[in-house]
Amino acid sequence: MQTSDDILASQAQARKREKRRLALDITAYLSPIILIVVVFVFAPLAIILFFALLKSGPYGVIVYELTFENIMAVFGGGYGKVFMKSVYLAFQTNFLCILFGYPIAYYVARFGGRFKVLWIFLIIVPSWSSYLIRLYALKTLVGTKGTINTLLLNLGLISEPIQILYTNFAVTMALVFAWLPFMILPIYAALDGLDRSVLEAAADLGANPFRRFFRVTLPLTRGGLLAGSILVFIPTVGEWLVPHIFGGSKIMMAGSLVAHKFTAVGNIPQGSSLAMMLAATLVLILYLIIKWGGREALERSL
Amino acid sequence: MKKKKIAPKILWVLSVLTLIFLWAPVVLIIVYSFSNNKYGSSWEGFTTKWYVKLFTNDQVRDALMRSLIIAGVTVVVSTIIGTITAYGLYKLNFRGKQFLRTSILLPIVFPSVVTGSALLVFFTRFMHIPLGYPSIIIAHIVFCSPLAVFIILGRMQRFDWSWEEAALDLGATPFRTFIRVTGPQLLPAIMASAMLIFPWSFDDFVITYFVAGVGSTTLPIYVFSQLRFGATPVINTIGTLFVTITMLGLVLVHFIQKSGKSGT
Repeated sequence: MQTSDDILASQAQARKREKRRLALDITAYLSPIILIVVVFVFAPLAIILFFALLKSGPYGVIVYELTFENIMAVFGGGYGKVFMKSVYLAFQTNFLCILFGYPIAYYVARFGGRFKVLWIFLIIVPSWSSYLIRLYALKTLVGTKGTINTLLLNLGLISEPIQILYTNFAVTMALVFAWLPFMILPIYAALDGLDRSVLEAAADLGANPFRRFFRVTLPLTRGGLLAGSILVFIPTVGEWLVPHIFGGSKIMMAGSLVAHKFTAVGNIPQGSSLAMMLAATLVLILYLIIKWGGREALERSL
Repeated sequence: MKKKKIAPKILWVLSVLTLIFLWAPVVLIIVYSFSNNKYGSSWEGFTTKWYVKLFTNDQVRDALMRSLIIAGVTVVVSTIIGTITAYGLYKLNFRGKQFLRTSILLPIVFPSVVTGSALLVFFTRFMHIPLGYPSIIIAHIVFCSPLAVFIILGRMQRFDWSWEEAALDLGATPFRTFIRVTGPQLLPAIMASAMLIFPWSFDDFVITYFVAGVGSTTLPIYVFSQLRFGATPVINTIGTLFVTITMLGLVLVHFIQKSGKSGT
């Protein structure tokens, strides 16, 4: 029929208009961020991928010749070990942050009362203060001439300073110190939003406190744990400052390798291949997180 | 009955210990910044001379000014980009939106050394952007605007959109609606994101260190360069100022958000 044809035609036209409108809106609102992502995120990554495939000559000279030797070197003994160690340290840090973070999050959510805001404030301030300054402060405390050693020496408990810096213990402690607030806050948010009536129901049905915690509270705060783990695990893998300040030349992480190649040695092809490897490791981890916990978990953690 | 009361107490002790762990080093440098000890690592009587020294130190003043300029420009640009991007992402549905959202997350989730080194190579070997203010500000905008996007997007999801619909129904143009209705209502969220981005930009060390080149010492880079000498009283005073400014900023954000909530 003519009329239905007309309707169809006008519908098609309307759809076309809508499409054009949408394209216009996307350009208007999203072109700046698309520009940033394409020019300053994707392009630099592509460039270092390119440099990772070049040959490194003596004295930081780049030989424009395609080779896989730098990429292959990343998998070789020394570097591979450092990468494994980084992932291991990140796991360890994450676990310790949950271990120390859960009790305080639980306490503030359940028993914080009118001091809740103060508690939260005291947890947030370190997470937003200068990261470098906080690490420096921790170093002041634990260094060879630091406060702890001075105190113990003066008390006569030890005869010579304890070597805390440049040990595995120091690196782990500094990592936990740096990232703990980022674990506490999401767990707190999850616990605070917990419906108390579910716990009461569990108690009424005869579950003991232990069982209530492991069967009800913990599963219901999984989202918070996941968000906190994202916030802690991911930056820890690529950490540079902590191993630099607390590990010295003895304990290196993947981030220190990249920083070392770029800022100290100036070997761009090697540095690029290490950076690509680090980025690839992170993409793999992110993929696993999204697959396991969902994209929402990732975005909620912000 | 007694059993019920012991659990909160144990938790309280653990929580206080955790807070002490997080705060002891910070409190210590605040205390030492007022100490007469010239290595800034023990207490030898009260003085404010390090603060006088801090404000008369040309290097520190230059670094501070540089950091403030960089953070100021970054906050303004990132907040503007963040606001329009969040609005676009919230309102529009199109193919590739998820991909775009994930891509925006990249600068936040990538390790700073990767972002820093990639940008360094990009600036020096490809774009030939001079290292210094231009490279630092671009780098800061790259990692701060995604943060602004997601902070503001988070607020938008809890936002009452009926006012905007009403304005559009009553015939206001989209632009006018945004300027007169949506924008003012989003202002607390926008302010909060600006307040949160400022310390991100101001404190950033790793990415800045990569792209700064020679002679563009920001305050964190100055602190880092002094670190090898161990504790110094001047760094203690800088640290004290950092922590104080963060606290004031967070209190401010708290009140902005409170007034935003009661206003709507």
